[in-house]
Amino acid sequence: MTTVAEPLIQARPRRRLRFLSQLARRPSAAIAAVVFAAIVFCVVFAGVVAPYSPNSFDYSHLYATPSWAHPFGTDELGRDLLSRVMYGGRTTLEIAAFAVLVAMGGGAIWGFTAAYMRGWVDEILMRVADLTLGMPVILLALVLVAAFGSSTASLVLILGILFMPATARLARAALLSELETDYYLAAISVGTPPWLIMLRELLPNTGPILIARASLVAAEAIFVEASLSFVGLGVQPPAASWGTLLQKGYSNLYQSYWYPVFPGLVILVAVLSLNTLGDHLQRVFDPAKR
Amino acid sequence: MIQYVARRVGTSIVLLFFSSIVIFCLMRVIPGDPTITKLGGSIQGVDPRALQAIRHQLGLDQSIPEQYVHWLGGIVHGDFGRSYYSQFPVTTLITERIGATAELAICALVIALGIAIPAATLGTIWRNRFFDALLSGFTAIGLATPAFVSGILLIVVFGVKLGWLPTQGYVSFEAHPLESLKGVLLPAITLSIVVAAPVLRVLRASLIDVESASYTRTAAGKGLVRWQVVLRHVLPNAAIPALTTIGIVIGGLLGGAVITEYVFARPGLGTLMVDSVYQRDYGVLQALVLLAAAAFILSSLVVDLLYGVIDPRLRLRVRGEAR
Repeated sequence: MTTVAEPLIQARPRRRLRFLSQLARRPSAAIAAVVFAAIVFCVVFAGVVAPYSPNSFDYSHLYATPSWAHPFGTDELGRDLLSRVMYGGRTTLEIAAFAVLVAMGGGAIWGFTAAYMRGWVDEILMRVADLTLGMPVILLALVLVAAFGSSTASLVLILGILFMPATARLARAALLSELETDYYLAAISVGTPPWLIMLRELLPNTGPILIARASLVAAEAIFVEASLSFVGLGVQPPAASWGTLLQKGYSNLYQSYWYPVFPGLVILVAVLSLNTLGDHLQRVFDPAKR
Repeated sequence: MIQYVARRVGTSIVLLFFSSIVIFCLMRVIPGDPTITKLGGSIQGVDPRALQAIRHQLGLDQSIPEQYVHWLGGIVHGDFGRSYYSQFPVTTLITERIGATAELAICALVIALGIAIPAATLGTIWRNRFFDALLSGFTAIGLATPAFVSGILLIVVFGVKLGWLPTQGYVSFEAHPLESLKGVLLPAITLSIVVAAPVLRVLRASLIDVESASYTRTAAGKGLVRWQVVLRHVLPNAAIPALTTIGIVIGGLLGGAVITEYVFARPGLGTLMVDSVYQRDYGVLQALVLLAAAAFILSSLVVDLLYGVIDPRLRLRVRGEAR
């Protein structure tokens, strides 16, 4: 029996290799990947890379304009802003990463269940998704913050829940098209147990589409977290994120107009690179977008 | 056509009804007793009977379904209840502040569509690689720029550095039209970037789609000049998918306004919403969220009805069904 199943499994398209070759062919996506990797590197290894401690005061250099010593300038206590942006990125990226996990995990289960069960289960699950998809994300985020508070854990949960319905829709569509394929039929006909089909056929084939989506969700998560922190309803002091740094810079705008500029630009660059990467991945992996 | 309109209006009302239930239930999840808000933060040492009286006055001693029916009944009569924090009727708070938001939203929309539609059309007429790259760059950056980043950059350049334009507050249009427009300019530009980027993206994609249609080739083949082909044949057909996006963007304007108003300290609905979250004032919050949902549902309804007007295929199909 296994001799029949083997060639079918090998016939699966090799998407990983295609991804690498396509990345080289599209310079904007390659640049985006490098830029985002650099940001992540600086944030993760802030302890090594950052030129100063994020909390070392220097009262002789308050609100310094950008210079070689302080490329992003200094803040109201003379702390080096470049270092603070690197350390602040830890909070931002941590929240974004876990929010992506929640959104992708929950969304995949939600969408897969709908696609697998069909019928009324599908109908109910998708109508619920539609109901939340209509509202502006930032408004829902504000309401959920009012309901669940803004600790790191609840921010992760809030962002995760916010991006779940759209992910569920994508996961459903992806699985539905997989269930129509010949190799799925073949796998059933040779008596492969459903969990093994899921593991060996369906997940590897829907996975790439979901990963492309994860990149876009991460961008949105950074975006919304920064928005919430900016209006003072996201990450709470003394913790610092890119959004809170920007908020601080904004309230000190008239002391030093350089202060908010760089935290803002870092958010922009991070979101832009993730968006570019996600668009590219979607083009490579999702046949409907090609 | 009438049947199409009736069905579409009907689903919108049902959708709004369900949204109101969801919003109301969500508000009841918010921890914290609004009576505490009303009493200024603490209920210690307050006579339980007085507390009971306040609960009764706010209608909080009723069951949740009863409260919902009461709330909905009020809304139908134009009464959104009272703020738990400031005690003002919610309707008053909203009418006081809707002017600042409406002015911002209209100006932003005019600027955004005034840039996006001509830019996408010119890009198609010219077929210039450099101009196209410029548009792609603008779209990508516009989609990735949060309103607070572009807003702060505008404040830094035009407010702090050059000192040309006011960066904070709001002057009502009826009082000082010129001052009001000067004050709305920077916020409107900020919000217009948020609006223009997705519209430009979808419009360009659908223009490219329609370009390869056979009727476009026919139009060019019968000797029309390039701009005639684009304006008469490509643009009208490409407008349909873009219309959906415009509807979504307009429906979501209140969301973009939250951040923009906060950056420019405009006393509009967005800042009211942020304040009501701070104050756990769910009397105001639920009214605002319902308003946002209504705006969204209304704009998608209008778009769907416009489809019926613009797209003869849809009109004919519906008429065919009716027979």
